[in-house]
Amino acid sequence: MELSRARALIPLLSSTGCSVDLTLVGQGLISGVLFGGVYSLMAVGLTLIFGVMRVVNFAHGDMMVWGMYLAYLLATHAGVDPYAGFALCAAALFVLGLLIQRGLVDRIVDAPHEMQILLMLGVALVLENVALMVFGPEPTRVTSSLATATLWLGPVFVDVNRLVAFAVAVALTLALSTFLFRTELGRTIRAAADNTYGALVIGTDVRRVYAVAFGIGAACVGAAGALVSSILPFQPPTGLSLSVTSFNVVIIGGMGSLAGAFVGGLLVSVAESLGAVFLKPSLKELFSFTLLIVILLFRPAGLFGKRAS
Amino acid sequence: MTKPRLTRRTFLATTAAAAGFPRPLRAQPKTFKIGVVHPVTGPLAEPGQACRLGAQMAADAINAAGGIKSKGGLKLELIVGDTQTKPENGRVEAERVVNQGAQMLMGSFDSGSTSAMVSVAQQKRVPFLIDIAAADPITANVAKSVKDGEQKVQYVYRNFPTGSSFGRKAVQYFTDIFKEANVSPKRVVLMYCNDLFGQNQARGFQAAHKAANPSWEIVEVIPWPEPPSDLSTEVSRAKAAKPDVIAPITRPASALLLLPEIVKQRIEMLGIVGPGGPGLYEAGQLAQLKQNLEYVMTSVPWPNFKNPKTGAAAEEFRKRSSGKTFDTNSGYSYDGMFVIADILERASSLDDPDTIVDAMKKTNYSGGLMNYGGPIVFNEVGDNANAIPTMIQILSQKPVAVWPREAAVQKFIFPRPKA
Repeated sequence: MELSRARALIPLLSSTGCSVDLTLVGQGLISGVLFGGVYSLMAVGLTLIFGVMRVVNFAHGDMMVWGMYLAYLLATHAGVDPYAGFALCAAALFVLGLLIQRGLVDRIVDAPHEMQILLMLGVALVLENVALMVFGPEPTRVTSSLATATLWLGPVFVDVNRLVAFAVAVALTLALSTFLFRTELGRTIRAAADNTYGALVIGTDVRRVYAVAFGIGAACVGAAGALVSSILPFQPPTGLSLSVTSFNVVIIGGMGSLAGAFVGGLLVSVAESLGAVFLKPSLKELFSFTLLIVILLFRPAGLFGKRAS
Repeated sequence: MTKPRLTRRTFLATTAAAAGFPRPLRAQPKTFKIGVVHPVTGPLAEPGQACRLGAQMAADAINAAGGIKSKGGLKLELIVGDTQTKPENGRVEAERVVNQGAQMLMGSFDSGSTSAMVSVAQQKRVPFLIDIAAADPITANVAKSVKDGEQKVQYVYRNFPTGSSFGRKAVQYFTDIFKEANVSPKRVVLMYCNDLFGQNQARGFQAAHKAANPSWEIVEVIPWPEPPSDLSTEVSRAKAAKPDVIAPITRPASALLLLPEIVKQRIEMLGIVGPGGPGLYEAGQLAQLKQNLEYVMTSVPWPNFKNPKTGAAAEEFRKRSSGKTFDTNSGYSYDGMFVIADILERASSLDDPDTIVDAMKKTNYSGGLMNYGGPIVFNEVGDNANAIPTMIQILSQKPVAVWPREAAVQKFIFPRPKA
């Protein structure tokens, strides 16, 4: 049924100047879904931070770049493969997140949004330029043992690198979800997110909760950075485009929703991948950002977001 | 006794005066200031920093050799600017360096910011030598407005191949190399980064292909957004087009994605031959892409290593950049500074920008370290038609000139050996 529908589309698309090849579509879907796992993981970190303390972390992409550089250092100096080193990167980013939250964000949690945005943009600039000073401007990527490993399923192939990144990203998102829903600290974080005042009333140390949540958000993006460091070349300014992609994913999924971030990540990645199949590849981002506009028009709070009361 | 009070008015008047209002009344400066603007931070920081160092090395060499001799040993002083890889900053930085006393401009690597600098050069009458920037309209637009009488003087000249000349030469080199190798590939897939540079290069290549009508076809054209986060689908599309040759126009970051992806997807073809673009030959890229770059060819402006002076400059560059290669970017910025020195030697006076422009127009300089098709001379639109690219190939992990024959230091290997 689906296949016949897809076949029926072919003449239509061809008549509009689009090239279609079913193998290409299949390949696009596989690549899209696999890369989507990583988009999801980076968006999960952003949505957690926003959901808990209503602060939009504009330094998110730059934190991810630091995760990538840490994976690079581990790989080049200690010979640790990024698929083993991601836990260390996540831990390091957790500490960085904790420090940024305690030292800076904590002071502006209750400030107007524009103040928060300025601060986070400042943090982003500092992170980017420190990376530029430390690592230099050249683009780089981490060499992984899986770098060119592929599995062939008939005419289409599965990039093992992406498959592993996808599996780890999904496992981490599930672990985070279990943590938030099944542990005491997780429940406290959700309580503070749902109703800060109420959480304060029942004696929750909201400052601590905020610091931990920011740390976990940073750890997620640090892990995501390490996982893609062998797929995606990076240089200090890469952070901005990663931040934009994370925002796109989070807004499509619904700000503050974990499930939303996960589904949003897959959707954006598949949209871009199929965009490159059906349109000129240079227009593929048109697909994902059109998706954003359509979702904002019909579901302003995102796919899984709660409507603002 | 009353103390003299510093009022706001006196303060403003004094600082304004100090900031440069009486500049024309000042004594002849002991140095000639040149504003050198490149993208030293941001995504193009790597080539931008190479350009800046190339220019600085050249200025140091000129000063060490006694400066501008016809002007009493006048020394060159560089006022450096950084566009941060943002096109609009070309204007901002050009204005800043001119306000700091720059009497000439050189820059700025990417066509976007170079175009922005042009307006400052024309408005403020500051002679501007473009060391790198390929988009044709940059000089052509100024030449046209001078021809149409909208502007009096053209202050902008370029010593770098234009997009269209890159295209013409690339098509010619492709055809020559296929013929010399005694193979006849039919299907070429053009892949390019979809920014101003990539579009311009791709357009030039396609136009030249159409005009030359060679025996090979461009069967598919695949642009990608730059910087890309994923090129797997793009490469799948290229593979679906059954290419004999993939012709990529990359940036360093996209090359790091593209080449491993081509290997992963096991595309059977004769080789990868680029019509011109960074990312396929630099030391940093080679260190990371290693075997993925072996046998890759690309048509780029390249230093003439047959000239012993080039070897010495490359060695100095390697030391001062902690190990980088003297190539397209550093080389053209280096040559640019020497062209400026040559212009200053010949200018009848350095006080009037128009006399500098007169000397610029009469340039006929053959001391460049790059491979040229002849001496550096500027044509009616202000471009040096002798600035041509060279086909280089990565052989044993080193970029070497392989075509045209007179520039080649080694014979190319094409088709690439099967793995």
